[in-house]
Formats: sequence, C-alpha cells, structure tokens
Amino acid sequence: MQSILAVDDSASMRQMVSFTLKGAGYNVIEAADGQEALDKARQQHIDLVLTDQNMPRMDGITLVRQLRALAPFVATPMLILTTESSDEMKAQGRAAGATGWLVKPFDPAKLLDVIRRVIK
Amino acid sequence: MENLIIDPTTAAQRGAARECQAIAADLERLKVLLAEAGDKLLASFNVVGAVAPALARDERERRQIGGAVASAVTALQFQDMATQLTAHAQRRLAVLQDLVATLAQETDPLLATTRLQPVKQAGMGAGSIDLF
Repeated sequence: MQSILAVDDSASMRQMVSFTLKGAGYNVIEAADGQEALDKARQQHIDLVLTDQNMPRMDGITLVRQLRALAPFVATPMLILTTESSDEMKAQGRAAGATGWLVKPFDPAKLLDVIRRVIK
Repeated sequence: MENLIIDPTTAAQRGAARECQAIAADLERLKVLLAEAGDKLLASFNVVGAVAPALARDERERRQIGGAVASAVTALQFQDMATQLTAHAQRRLAVLQDLVATLAQETDPLLATTRLQPVKQAGMGAGSIDLF
C-alpha cells in the first residue's frame, strides 16, 4: 500500500483529505504543520507528499524545500494544496521543488486523478 | 453656562473606533459559529460517509451516493477557507484600529503591514490544478 503524507493545520481539511485518500486505498500519515511533517517523513517511507501552504511553525514551500534536500525525497512527488492562487506563490512552489499546485477546495475525483498521474 | 464644544475630528475618531470594536465582536462570533457548524457537519458526514455506500441497492444508487459524498467533501472544506478569511479580516481590522488611533500618521500601515488576501475564491467550486 502506498503511503501519502497529508499536511494541513486545519483538522477538517486533514479529515477530508484522509477520507478521500483512504477511500482510494492509500495509507495516510497526517501532520498538522510542516515541522511535524518533516519529523514524520524522516522516520518512514513516503510515496507522495500533499501539503497545505500557510501553516504555523513551517509552511508548505519550506517543507518541500527541506524534503528535497533529503536523499529519499529527491524524486518524491510533492503537491501543494492551498487557498493561495497567485502566480507568484506558484512560482515559489515550483522553485522549491513542488510537483504541482492545487487550489482549494479540491474535488475528490480530480485530486485522486492527479495523484495517480504523479505517484510512482 | 459654559458652551460644550465638540471637536468633530475627535468625535469621528471615537465613532470609527466604536464601529471597529463592533466589527471585531461580530468577527469573533462568526468564528465561533463557523467552528460549531463545521464540527457538527463533519461529525454528521463521518456517519453518513461510513453508512451510506452500503445502502445502495444497485449500481445507479451506488454512483448517486458516491457523487453526493464527493460533493460533500468539496463543500465541507468551507470551514478551512472561511476560517482563513475571518482571520485575515481580523488582521485588517487590527490595522484599521491602529490607523484610527494614529490618524495623523503619514504612512499607510494598512498597506504596509498586511498581506494580500489569501483566499480569493468566491464560491465552493473545485479550485484549479497546475502540474509543473
């Protein structure tokens, strides 16, 4: 079973993401901010990272940048799921190493379609 | 008897400060209402989401229930977006309150200290997707 690290400081968003991913057969590891996600990512195999941008302690772009610096995450797909929709923020995400940028709210079928396209 | 002279600028500042306080109180109430409604909806969704698929009598009903659950997943993300918008409005209001308190200030702290609005979506239709 493939594992997805779902990162969001909103409990309701984590719940919606987990519901969607678990329903599609993925193992979901949840984290409430970038720092918690980074700590959990160092301890286990992760096949894909799906992270919010605006979070306390560590934001999504910083998380992506820090994970990309770790050998196990050089090629791991990382998607940013956020309310931020400006081209400037998307460019920052891309420069940090994000695989894609999804604007909230997400449609479950479209989210799963994107994940299936990028996950190995 | 001495005439009571009211400085119109001071009166306007007091009025503006009072309105800001009222808006701040309304935003706090809105946050509480959103949190309560969101939590109750999520609890209900968990029950319905777990039980409803098993109630389908045929493939058509299974698809109908699946579609309804998917729509609920998209709609229930309102709490996160509304919470962010409320927090943003509170930050802007705090800046406005500072501005009222220092009306003579030449700089514009409203523009200087607040970020662009983080939530631009006006509805609950699914957002865009960009793969790099």
